[in-house]
Amino acid sequence: VHPNVSQGCQGGCATCSDYNGCLSCKPRLFFVLERIGMKQIGVCLSSCPSGYYGTRYPDINKCAKCKADCDTCFTRNFCTKCKSGFYLHSGKCLEKCPDGLEANNHTMECTSIVH
Amino acid sequence: ERSTTQKAIIRVIPLKVEPIVLEGEFASVAEVTPAEGKLLQSHPLSLCNTSEDEHTESGFITIVKLEQPDRDPNPCLSLANKAKLAGERGARAILFDITDDESAADQLRKPRGLSQPVVLIRGHDAELLMGVVNKNREAHVKIEVKEQPAWPDYD
Amino acid sequence: AEPGAAPSCPAQCHCEEDGIVLSVDCSELGLTAVPTNLSPLTAYLDLSMNNISQLQPSAFRHLRFLEELRLSGNQISSIPGEAFSGLYSLKILMLQNNQLSRIPAEALRDLPNLQSLRLDANLISVVPEQSFEGLLSLRHLWLDDNALTEIPVRALNHLPALQAMTLALNQIWHIPDFAFQNLSSLVVLHLHNNRIQSLGANGFDGLHNLETLDLNYNELLEFPGAIRTLGRLQELGFHNNNIKAIPENAFVGNPLLQTIHFYDNPIQFVGQSAFQYLPKLHTLSLNGATDIREFPDLKGTTSLEVLTLTRAGIHLLPRGMCQQLPSLRVLELSHNKIEDLPSFHRCQRLEELGLQHNRIHEIRADTFVQLLALRSIDLSWNAIHFIHPNAFVTLHSLTKLDLTDNQLATLPLDGLGGLTHLKLQGNPALAEPFAKESFPKMRVLEVPYAYQCCAYGSCSGFFKVSNQWEAEDMSPEDEDLHKRTLEFFPGHADNHYDLDADDLQLDLEESKLHPTIQCSPSPGPFKPCDHLFESW
Repeated sequence: VHPNVSQGCQGGCATCSDYNGCLSCKPRLFFVLERIGMKQIGVCLSSCPSGYYGTRYPDINKCAKCKADCDTCFTRNFCTKCKSGFYLHSGKCLEKCPDGLEANNHTMECTSIVH
Repeated sequence: ERSTTQKAIIRVIPLKVEPIVLEGEFASVAEVTPAEGKLLQSHPLSLCNTSEDEHTESGFITIVKLEQPDRDPNPCLSLANKAKLAGERGARAILFDITDDESAADQLRKPRGLSQPVVLIRGHDAELLMGVVNKNREAHVKIEVKEQPAWPDYD
Repeated sequence: AEPGAAPSCPAQCHCEEDGIVLSVDCSELGLTAVPTNLSPLTAYLDLSMNNISQLQPSAFRHLRFLEELRLSGNQISSIPGEAFSGLYSLKILMLQNNQLSRIPAEALRDLPNLQSLRLDANLISVVPEQSFEGLLSLRHLWLDDNALTEIPVRALNHLPALQAMTLALNQIWHIPDFAFQNLSSLVVLHLHNNRIQSLGANGFDGLHNLETLDLNYNELLEFPGAIRTLGRLQELGFHNNNIKAIPENAFVGNPLLQTIHFYDNPIQFVGQSAFQYLPKLHTLSLNGATDIREFPDLKGTTSLEVLTLTRAGIHLLPRGMCQQLPSLRVLELSHNKIEDLPSFHRCQRLEELGLQHNRIHEIRADTFVQLLALRSIDLSWNAIHFIHPNAFVTLHSLTKLDLTDNQLATLPLDGLGGLTHLKLQGNPALAEPFAKESFPKMRVLEVPYAYQCCAYGSCSGFFKVSNQWEAEDMSPEDEDLHKRTLEFFPGHADNHYDLDADDLQLDLEESKLHPTIQCSPSPGPFKPCDHLFESW
């Protein structure tokens, strides 16, 4: 089986193989590992899936997981949208807003108290 | 003194399907010890410090299909360190399919005392094992130490 | 949309209702233009990975509810001024992975609610001053993987709400003074993989809330002293640069630092007080700083858990070292010039101790006393000729001990009963045979002479019965366990049986199989078990 043509290889791969899927991505795409049951394959995407953030490096662009309480993030330690039940404040997901701020249940963020 | 690698018996028991028995060899980078657990495939790039281990359960046996060396010109870690990382992430044993990368056997020969056994598998045995992986059917694996003659038969 | 065209799901796209609004996915369809019959109730529109090279003016004018627009992975090289007009609800705009060579300032003028703007992986080399003027709500800006040669200082003056920005993977070579002075809300700043060689002394002034600064993979020649104004900094990285020294009081302005990564710098000198008063720092790694002669003063750095200080010139460990480091778990001091060890007894949480490749000559009774958590000690490649009989007595967690290549004639065994790994090769005077009972949990044993392995029957694997010499060697319990195991695994690979997985699991746990013990050098015909050499 020619390694580059197989069910594991999809559009974004630069190199791939049957068992491992993508081994490297076309320029600018993000490499992410996907687990499907027992199998784990490499996939190449233009932006990382929800719950992951991308970091670009000269040789590879990689997706990595946000923290457990975060839906979308800029880096692991800086969230941009929290999971339900948490309020977002300065990149952090909080169960309760700090003193001096109030919880906005529409935007699910901590905002300054408007007098 | 002829170097004798310790052979391994690998019993693969897919649920509700006839078990298959394969053979491999223990790599001396790790201890020669039996192990068993649920079979899970790991992509070669998942065993890097920068990659996360999204698998939280421990007690599995991981199978890594190694690609031809030229397809991963500068690997993130040596194979020994990849095996160590897999053990730290909860693998009870690491199976390397070295069909496409025979150089792996040399890389995993130097003793490092890794606690989780490392077993090399190749050729037809590896093909059968990867066939189980490709069908993505849950399977239980038992690795046993195959008996060896008391003294290697010097004539 | 053309007048009269019924707003519905554009051909080939996938639409999903989310309450009254609509999510429309038209990604990877080979589209060359924005679909025209988009529903005004569209809140999410994904046009990524198509072949769109131009956006029609007002293509999205009627999408008042649109919050997220994805245009990544197309061939857009320029964007007309009115392309995004009318998108008052837009929060997220993704333009990464296109062909833009300059910031489309006109098009971005009227997006009052935009929070996230992705422009990474384009060809941007020009950032006009008014690029972000209309973006008063912008919090997250991606400009990495472009062709910037300098920090767009003037354009960045108009982003009061910006919290996270990456300028990584560009060709920036210098950070001027006051480059980020109006970014008082910035929390994360990534500048890795540029060519930054110099940094103004006031380069980071104004970044009062910065917590993460990434300067990795640049060409800095000097320690970035400009960080002293970053009072809330928690994560700092400047690994893979050309920095030769870390000055005294280097981090005096950064009391909240938790991680500092600076490996792969040709660091020769480190100020004695450089790492003082960093109460949140938990890891410190210094490798190859050959000019370091003395152990650093770590007063006030009380949370340190991992200290790696290798390949330096340290010859003495201060008596009060452990008082300063009550949380220390891993201490790695290999490749120094240490001759004499203090007592580590105040390092109560110590788990791993690496002292290989030093000049240590003895281990006293109090050296490791009361280190109840200590699991691993590496003392290989020293000059140890004496170990006090009580040296290991209190080490109840010790499992790994490496004494390779020392000058030992004898090894005190008290306290070593829990060892699983013991290495003694390279001690030619250590000729005593070891009894199996001394190390009941042993799994890997390296000894000076092959005959010292015979006590471990390593001439036979655990499963063999073929040779009478081995059978006698087995204790009754071993033999019984061994027979039952053989019945369980008759030893022929092609044997088939139809046990269900759970039955197999139970049987194996009951039999409590012992792994074989790896003892080396293993005896053979040319390395007999009798110490013949001494009797000749």
